[in-house]
Amino acid sequence: MVSAKSVLEELKACGVMHVIGLADNASAALVSLLAGDDSVRYIAVTREGEAFALASGLWIGGKTSVVVAQNTGFLESGDSLRGTAQRMRIPLVCLITYRGCKEMRRQKAVAGPRPWTVEEFSRADLDSAAIVTEPTLEAWNLPFDYLETDADLPRIAQAFSRAARESRPVVLLVTENMT
Amino acid sequence: MALTKDQLLKPLAELRGRSVVVTCMSVTRPWGRYSSSDLDFASADSAMGHTADLALGIALARPERKVICLNGDGSMLMTLGTLATVIGAGAANLVLFVVQNDTYEITGNQEIPAAGRIDFALLARGAGFRRVYDFKDPDLYKTTLPEVLSGEGPVFVAVRVEKGEEGPISRSAKEQSPYLRVSLAQSAHDLRKALTPPRFPTL
Repeated sequence: MVSAKSVLEELKACGVMHVIGLADNASAALVSLLAGDDSVRYIAVTREGEAFALASGLWIGGKTSVVVAQNTGFLESGDSLRGTAQRMRIPLVCLITYRGCKEMRRQKAVAGPRPWTVEEFSRADLDSAAIVTEPTLEAWNLPFDYLETDADLPRIAQAFSRAARESRPVVLLVTENMT
Repeated sequence: MALTKDQLLKPLAELRGRSVVVTCMSVTRPWGRYSSSDLDFASADSAMGHTADLALGIALARPERKVICLNGDGSMLMTLGTLATVIGAGAANLVLFVVQNDTYEITGNQEIPAAGRIDFALLARGAGFRRVYDFKDPDLYKTTLPEVLSGEGPVFVAVRVEKGEEGPISRSAKEQSPYLRVSLAQSAHDLRKALTPPRFPTL
């Protein structure tokens, strides 16, 4: 698990002034922290697609922001990310919380390297949002890394560096609820 | 009664000063006939329905500068939630127009859902906009526009316009407007340069 307080400190160190997103269980601790923080502003959106357009506008205006969204919302907002941050070549770091990751990884380890079956996509104990998250990131040519524990915190700065160097969105997958 | 696009855009071009103007869909090309400012941005070849939220981001980043968004009615319907996001974010410098012709003009004037019945001004009021205008009369629009563009926002402006015949928009050398002759990425990066000049001028 990664600590929301440490994540926020890293974001501040990277110059983030706005966090844009829609809270879920995994990001709730971070959103709560932001409510009491004067230096980073949290902007709540009604749907995740807004977040990518809004973050793109903030960058055009000269501000660094980060998008926080659940993988389900990320999947919903595909064309927004494609048509704004990606097509505009905007350096943007996105923290995507990875709902269903743990069970998906366990099932994958059991089943081995094979395509997911139709039955697995509909199984109640397996979250299909997790199944399609990484293949979708790959299909959209979005570089990604994992934020699993506090030991991974340097990956936040690395993601910002890569986003700036390559002028593109970069994703960090948050695999468990922040504490 | 409704305005022509010229009746909508000409007075706006005369009064916008150094405001950022973000256009979309059927007013994109006509706006280019009235303006060639470095602060114009066409949300063309972009993400459908996400013009207002993009403009909101610019407005939040540059609170000292007015940001005028010329959104389409079909585009606004795609992300109606943005009305609530604008209010929640409290962008006092945003003027959000919805250009209402009740059709998807670019693809051949197919009707939008609830065409002729939907009331965008009422939706904006319901979302929490306190300054809301709803224009059908060209003369009233022209005389009221200075008031619309002054003071604190966010401001919402519904404008009924006549159906037109604007076809699909490209970003290519075939387009007349300078802001459509460059890629979306180039346009975004150019606007950022215009909005964030170097702190120290270079010799």
